[in-house]
Amino acid sequence: MHRRGFLGTLAGSLGALALTSPFASPLSAAPLEKVRSLGVLRVGLYADNRPWSWDAAGQPAGIDVDLARALAEAFGVRADIALFTADEAVSDDLRNVVWRGGLLGFQPCDVMLHVPFDPRFAAQEDQVVFVAPYYRESFAAVCGNEARDCDVPPPQLAGKRLAAELDSIPDFYLLGGFGGILRKDVVHYPTGYEAVGAVQDGKADFAVATRAQVDAAMADNPGGNAKRRRGPLPAIASPGWDIGMAVKENSRTLGFAIEETVEAMAQDGRLATLFTRHGVEWKPALATQPNT
Amino acid sequence: MKGTYTSLFAALALAGTALASPVAAEEGPTSADIVNDANTPGDVLSYGLGPWQQRYSPLKEVNSDNVTKLVPAYAASLGGEKQRGQESQPLVYDGMIYVTGSYSRLFAFDAKTGEKVWEYDARLPDGIMPCCDVVNRGAAIHGNKVIFATLDAHLVALDRKTGKVIWNKKIADYQAGYSATAAPIIVKDMVITGNSGGEFGVIGAVQARNVDTGELIWERPVIEGHMGTLNGQPNGITGKTNATWPGDMWKTGGGATWLGGTYDPGTNMVYFGTGNPAPWNSHLRPGDNLYTSSTLAIDADTGVIKWHYQTTPHDGWDFDGVNEFIPFDATINGKAMKLGAKADRNGYFYVLDRTNGKFISANKFVMETTWANGINPKTGRPNYNDANRPGAPDGAEKGSVVFASPSFLGGKNWMPMAYSQDTGLFYVPSNDWGMDIWNEPIAYKKGAAYLGAGFTIKPIAEDHIGALRAMDPKTGKIVWEYKNPAPLWGGVLTTGGNLVFTGTPEGYLKAFDAKTGKELWKFNTGSGVVGSPITWTQDGEQYIAVMSGWGGAVPLWGGEVAKTFKEISQGGSLWVFKLAK
Repeated sequence: MHRRGFLGTLAGSLGALALTSPFASPLSAAPLEKVRSLGVLRVGLYADNRPWSWDAAGQPAGIDVDLARALAEAFGVRADIALFTADEAVSDDLRNVVWRGGLLGFQPCDVMLHVPFDPRFAAQEDQVVFVAPYYRESFAAVCGNEARDCDVPPPQLAGKRLAAELDSIPDFYLLGGFGGILRKDVVHYPTGYEAVGAVQDGKADFAVATRAQVDAAMADNPGGNAKRRRGPLPAIASPGWDIGMAVKENSRTLGFAIEETVEAMAQDGRLATLFTRHGVEWKPALATQPNT
Repeated sequence: MKGTYTSLFAALALAGTALASPVAAEEGPTSADIVNDANTPGDVLSYGLGPWQQRYSPLKEVNSDNVTKLVPAYAASLGGEKQRGQESQPLVYDGMIYVTGSYSRLFAFDAKTGEKVWEYDARLPDGIMPCCDVVNRGAAIHGNKVIFATLDAHLVALDRKTGKVIWNKKIADYQAGYSATAAPIIVKDMVITGNSGGEFGVIGAVQARNVDTGELIWERPVIEGHMGTLNGQPNGITGKTNATWPGDMWKTGGGATWLGGTYDPGTNMVYFGTGNPAPWNSHLRPGDNLYTSSTLAIDADTGVIKWHYQTTPHDGWDFDGVNEFIPFDATINGKAMKLGAKADRNGYFYVLDRTNGKFISANKFVMETTWANGINPKTGRPNYNDANRPGAPDGAEKGSVVFASPSFLGGKNWMPMAYSQDTGLFYVPSNDWGMDIWNEPIAYKKGAAYLGAGFTIKPIAEDHIGALRAMDPKTGKIVWEYKNPAPLWGGVLTTGGNLVFTGTPEGYLKAFDAKTGKELWKFNTGSGVVGSPITWTQDGEQYIAVMSGWGGAVPLWGGEVAKTFKEISQGGSLWVFKLAK
């Protein structure tokens, strides 16, 4: 793996410049120095994104929260975790959280976690640089323990109570897939974690969510009434995606430093351990794997 | 006209005594004064200059013969750094002008001099990120209070003399995506509001509160399956659960009532428009999806829906139905009728019987409507062009591009039209634009893969996007039009002086001959005008006022349309005009 490769690929119009001489501009050296001199790294995280980041009785908690603190610790500074409400699309979140700030005074963050690490998406976002891919996400499903076969073709689930996060691909999959045969059976939840929880609590028969949401819910409630579907979800719209971080376009030095830290954490096992603490099996991002 | 109002006024005064209002007349305007606002040109007590919100004033000192002599009397800045999106309409009472500013601010100015008397800045929570800019459209006044809604979905009543808070009530949860930007209306000592929300999962609702305490009296959710309340008790489900929505989708069906409503004292109904359904992909929610993209007539005393008219059943283009439904009386085919009119986002101008919602007519008020070929007079439903409905995304590749017109910003957006009792014409601020819309295979939401739609708004004419159109509601014919290069985004005022006033993003307040559409006067206010003008008399002279300050939803969208306004600077000022002596 060659970390400079990510920056070159996913850095918008100035990517090539950064690739050749990332430390040449005095301006670009400032952000990392600023973080060190202020003694604080401001990190933007989704407010309602369990198991990644959420508000646990007034305290931010989750994988991304721990990762943010680990980054700050590596720089010898304090982490200032800013939980924010998701806007209509990640593009809006990048504007609100990374490069402009909110219209009503939300201050931009040094780095935002949990952004897609996808060259096609990055090409549309020239105000930010995408760095440090740290997980490979995809979709998964669970069914109730009483189900004889958790791996049935989805059309056979007609008449069961099907749980999904509102306005997500799992939602559209169940509402719109298979000729709409499952549409009237879909029950909506605010998050995928809660959709899995509904199956565990016997309130639903089947749930589709992200793999991390399934992992975490299963680990958090091992006695719950749910088991994992082993087979794939036929014809689901996404094969999976990498998750990384975003810094402002002129904060490349900070981006490099973050990427080095995350790479070191991946290599010495700290990253996998951090994920395990939240019940989630760490899957390295495809972009960090050779020849993929 | 005048006779009608007088009798309504008497009926309401009687009803008012039954309600035992504690407000003494000398404290400020009563509900009866507000219902009579259209007949008292010495003040402006309501959004829309009267409960019907016709935005008509009988004043004629300033008229089509002398409007060229109109000059500024004074201007007043809202100050600070919050120079953005002034969509408000001022109120005038007792020598003061009350006007809301963007970012949930309310100002009181001396109506003679323009000097600021007080300013109230709502303290908004840190985490709030309003979807659709930071505008506010105006306040209400009643007794000793001025009342307005804030971006964090609160309703705040201030002492009109000092600006001190009298009560402050949460009307919805901003953390669940709710907001509020419309001007409240006052009906029988109640303050009635709608709600806003860009977040997926919000449900439109109308609320009536006690104007003195802010306590909830009734609430009416606008999506079928949801329970209404009256005095804290259940008061019937809206519609019939699962009649027009599959599964549990009605629970998150959308329909935000973000533009407020009008009131007809004669029928005692409030008329509220509702937003488009969610999710945007219409293929996921077969059915009419009631009552989204509709006008609802709601009993003002109980919050019960009396009738509904859905302008875009099973919307697939983002054509929300929030536009103002303006009551008016006219004789059609020899029959005197109680009517109402609405220029919808979908490009059609509807005339309905306001007593029962029956369809009278619908005619195009924009250049083209690619999504439908007229409205069927028998059913009142659009003759859909199914090929123009954006397709269902399948996540594989970029879907085929559909060109649809009007664009999702609408043939007419939020900006209110006016109706002249002299010419019998509606003056509709409209826009001619379309959109390319396609399925976006790689989209992301809340850090996760998502199936989204891409779109680009495009002009459809060489010489204009905006068009102020005079529409005859009896014939559906456009009598005249004024074309503007940039999109029109401000409200309209018409007067007994044969005048029509409206603002432009280019910065002008303009006056037109109400009969012919000839442009008679213009003045550049220094920033785009997206507010609604008013007029009143003071010390024997007629005044005209409008807010200046470019913003709102238009500058949030780029593309070809942005070329028409990229040089326009932001601002935030009240401008007041009168005739030069």
